[in-house]
Amino acid sequence: MTKHRERINWKKEAKLLPGYLIVGIWVAFTAVMIGWIIGASLSTSREIFSGTVLDFETGLHWENYATAWNSQNVSVFFGNSLLYATVSGAGVLVISAPAAYVLSRWKFKGSRATRILLVISMSVPAIMIIMPLYTLAVQWGLKGRILLIVLYIMLRVPYTAIYLQDFFATLSRSYEEAAYLDGCSPIKTFWKIMLPLVQPAVITVTIFNFLSVWNEFFMALIFTTSADMTPVGVGLLQIINSMKYSGNYGGLFAAVMIVFLPTFLLYIFMSEKIISGVTGGGVKG
Amino acid sequence: MKKNKLLIFLFMLPCVLTLLVMYVYPVCRTVLMSLFRVESLTAGTSEWTFYGLSNYTTIISNNTFQMAMKNMLLIWVAGGVITLALAMVMAVVLTSGIRGAKFFRAAIYLPNIISAVALATMWVQYIFNYDYGLLNELLELFGLEGFKWLGSDSKFWAMTASFIFGSVGYYMLIYISGIEGIPKELYEASMLDGAGKITQFRTITMPLLKRIIKTSITFWSINATTFFLWSKMFSPIQTEESTVVPVIYLYDIVFGGKGIIQRDAGAGAAVGVVLTIVIVAIYGVMNLLVKDTDMEY
Repeated sequence: MTKHRERINWKKEAKLLPGYLIVGIWVAFTAVMIGWIIGASLSTSREIFSGTVLDFETGLHWENYATAWNSQNVSVFFGNSLLYATVSGAGVLVISAPAAYVLSRWKFKGSRATRILLVISMSVPAIMIIMPLYTLAVQWGLKGRILLIVLYIMLRVPYTAIYLQDFFATLSRSYEEAAYLDGCSPIKTFWKIMLPLVQPAVITVTIFNFLSVWNEFFMALIFTTSADMTPVGVGLLQIINSMKYSGNYGGLFAAVMIVFLPTFLLYIFMSEKIISGVTGGGVKG
Repeated sequence: MKKNKLLIFLFMLPCVLTLLVMYVYPVCRTVLMSLFRVESLTAGTSEWTFYGLSNYTTIISNNTFQMAMKNMLLIWVAGGVITLALAMVMAVVLTSGIRGAKFFRAAIYLPNIISAVALATMWVQYIFNYDYGLLNELLELFGLEGFKWLGSDSKFWAMTASFIFGSVGYYMLIYISGIEGIPKELYEASMLDGAGKITQFRTITMPLLKRIIKTSITFWSINATTFFLWSKMFSPIQTEESTVVPVIYLYDIVFGGKGIIQRDAGAGAAVGVVLTIVIVAIYGVMNLLVKDTDMEY
């Protein structure tokens, strides 16, 4: 980047015109779609059906959000998803970070097998594990919110461990040697010195775990047995399925917006970090 | 550094237990279950009766499963070609030096960040809506009649199109990282030789991206094989022939869908095994076609 703004070279830009058109149309389409949903979430069903969503002739109907939040139970779904995404995000670190550290530092009996197992587990399709997990949950009497939290923690362990292992491997061993000379125990060294050193990677992987749990649908659909443990995805599906009876389209789009906003806002503030994390971690050519 | 056996044991234990409980045991049990006659998941192993390969013959001769496999194949091939081609076009455009590339990149990746349930709802309830949907509004603008996009004839393609829209950004990011990894000198040298943009793409970009394209095809295959959410969102209450895919079929026969009288967990397990074999086979073929050692630059 030069300090002065590069002057526009029209000949060069004209050559790139087809490129601008392709990505421009794609992004414009996305913007129209999201813009309309925002408009519809503030309109009445009548306005939606008469195609006057963005005129707001009867004002902004914020009560759609109140209806969705309270009487359509979105507050419960939202709270549950927030709980699942944050608690399992922390839980997965407690399990994965120590293992990632040990795997990056020492060769021991079974270390190679564990590494391979982690990589394979990451690509095992959910359909191969959900049926026995369902049986186990019934046998062990696990149900309610705690069941989904435990499942989401275990679901994210392989990805998190592999991601963090790469970062621990880049740390110099001199940190541990210095800590050892100072009489710091290995366990304390890990929590107080080594883990804080990979903080950027911990943040990135936690964002990914949050997004992934917030958006998870398949397991949620199978293991959700009661209204009070329903997360946003399954909750939204229930709202759609009851639309035939309620007919409240404004409320439906408000619910869509409430589910859409948290990850969208996270993305607005963190898009650079997220995008570089997508191809930085598991994906290697 | 001294090897500390106790530390290794303590630090590895939770992770290894997770792998065993969450992955190793369930995968083994699913494979085993596919060889037994099992009605309900909650039935104890004492109620299992050995069934040989009968679960497999049952599903293969089942009409719904055949339809589901046909739909899956169509999503895999047609959806795959379109998605990966679009992703490649976007990646090439965004690395060609256009202004605002960072913004465009973030905006095109956006659908991958938001809840797929919310995204699918936007498509079903807005874009494809008959009364006020975007597509019919556009048709109206040109004086054309509205079209029933979610009618049974076009529903499959409506579903696939929206799935493609939601997927392109991810593969685009993979391709961008691949293209950015190609040394700039190669392009400069070929430009001096008088090569145009298209020649450059054909002779430099594509060959050097072989490995990344292999990765993207493998990922797409996993996504197409385990396709579920979009089918559920396009036919939320009752499974329909036009949108059924294998995982929907599995879900219905194991957990009970509308119109399923007899649950069959053994057949469900067989569906899971068949899909896993498909994924492993694709992965194997890709590895045969593109050797990892092929690409050094």
